[in-house]
Amino acid sequence: MSFSISSFLESLQSAISYVPVTLKLTAITFVVSFFLGAVIATVRYYRIPVLSQFFAVFVTVYLGLPTMVALLLYNLLFMTFYGSFATFFHIPVPISEVNPIIIGYFTLIMGTTCSISESIRGAFRGIEKVQFEAGYSIGLSRFRTLTRIVFPQMVPILLPGMQNSLIGLLKASNLVSAISVIEVMAGALLPSLLYYSYLEGYVAAALVYWLIGIAIEIVAHYGEKYSGKYLKKTA
Amino acid sequence: MGNYFSAERFVHIFPKVISNLSVNLHIVFWSMLLGTVLGIIVAVLRIYRVPVVSGLLGIYISFMRGTPLLVQMMISFYGIPIVFGALFMQLFGINLNRLDPVIFVEIAIVLNEGAFLGEIFRGAITSVPAVQAEAGYSIGMTGAQTFYRIVLPQAFKVALPHYGVDFIGVFQNTSLVFILGVVDILGKAKTLGAATGHSLEGYLSAAIVYIAFSLLLKGAFLLAESRMKNGTAKNV
Repeated sequence: MSFSISSFLESLQSAISYVPVTLKLTAITFVVSFFLGAVIATVRYYRIPVLSQFFAVFVTVYLGLPTMVALLLYNLLFMTFYGSFATFFHIPVPISEVNPIIIGYFTLIMGTTCSISESIRGAFRGIEKVQFEAGYSIGLSRFRTLTRIVFPQMVPILLPGMQNSLIGLLKASNLVSAISVIEVMAGALLPSLLYYSYLEGYVAAALVYWLIGIAIEIVAHYGEKYSGKYLKKTA
Repeated sequence: MGNYFSAERFVHIFPKVISNLSVNLHIVFWSMLLGTVLGIIVAVLRIYRVPVVSGLLGIYISFMRGTPLLVQMMISFYGIPIVFGALFMQLFGINLNRLDPVIFVEIAIVLNEGAFLGEIFRGAITSVPAVQAEAGYSIGMTGAQTFYRIVLPQAFKVALPHYGVDFIGVFQNTSLVFILGVVDILGKAKTLGAATGHSLEGYLSAAIVYIAFSLLLKGAFLLAESRMKNGTAKNV
């Protein structure tokens, strides 16, 4: 058995045709998690009673749960309880018609929200108190101060961490193949199932992931340069 | 929930699942040990900018960081026997296809960690101000002495928090090995689930073990960090 170029190319073609699935999974999860993470971090920063304690415990515990375990657990719960859930809410869609990618989204969003909220909490620490006070002093409300003064300044602090989160998410998105969602990795393996050319399939998948990862790195690099501009001016 | 979850089955299954924790810890131990050694080598080669090697390492790190660990494990599992199979058969009489899949998992994680830890160590070593090394030279220390006595202890302190996060990450990544047929806690939970028809208790046990052990590791690293706090050079 050796490496066959023709099956590699076939796998590559198949993998590329599933790139939109992976990109969509990564992008939507990232955007949703970013907003939820920002909300959790803000709640914890202002120490809103009950909620902030709840999130503190929840995030700490949840970060100990590997994505794969969470995915299998949620998938099982979904399979078990979808029937009674659907009859209760009168949803006419049978379970076989439900795309399992929903569970993938749910799992990835839960995990990424927790890790992003920690990064944003770290970025809050990088903003000096004076910045808040400056906002209040010109009569901005709490919310306005956050959105107009604090969040824009967090962008350059957050970018390197967000780049890591995004690439981590891209890599974690292949786990959903375990619940029979077809994305880049599972897509690359489709021809392999016919010819038993698994190595070629996985190498093709690796190549596609690598290229997407490099693209993200390049974009983040320019983003970092651009968003850090104002820092140099003040110096 | 009724029939889906029973505390009795949970109590029965939990010890069975946790008994396979040793498989995960075995993988974590060897991966971290060899990965740390590889990481140090990678970091040193990158810092000294050894011509060709440094460029190749850049590609290696980019690949390891840009592709999912699961894909790397699979490439290791299918690729190593194809590439080195004939060689090992002739030299040592070992049939790589019959080898325990744990070994391929460990090779993949070690190579992966070599890249990640290499970057962590490189960042930590370069974060020590050059003045510190100059201080060492000024009192007549040799290059090696300066590195081991002055730069390394300071770099260690910088690297420790990242190392801790990475360590916990490796532990959590061992949850992927069941896909290759290694029976770790999650693999055991899955097999028990298939045998008894009740998976929920097994998965829940695995989740609890992962969370508890991750928190334990996190606590241990936080303790180590707080012990290291004294003697930190203050930036003026």
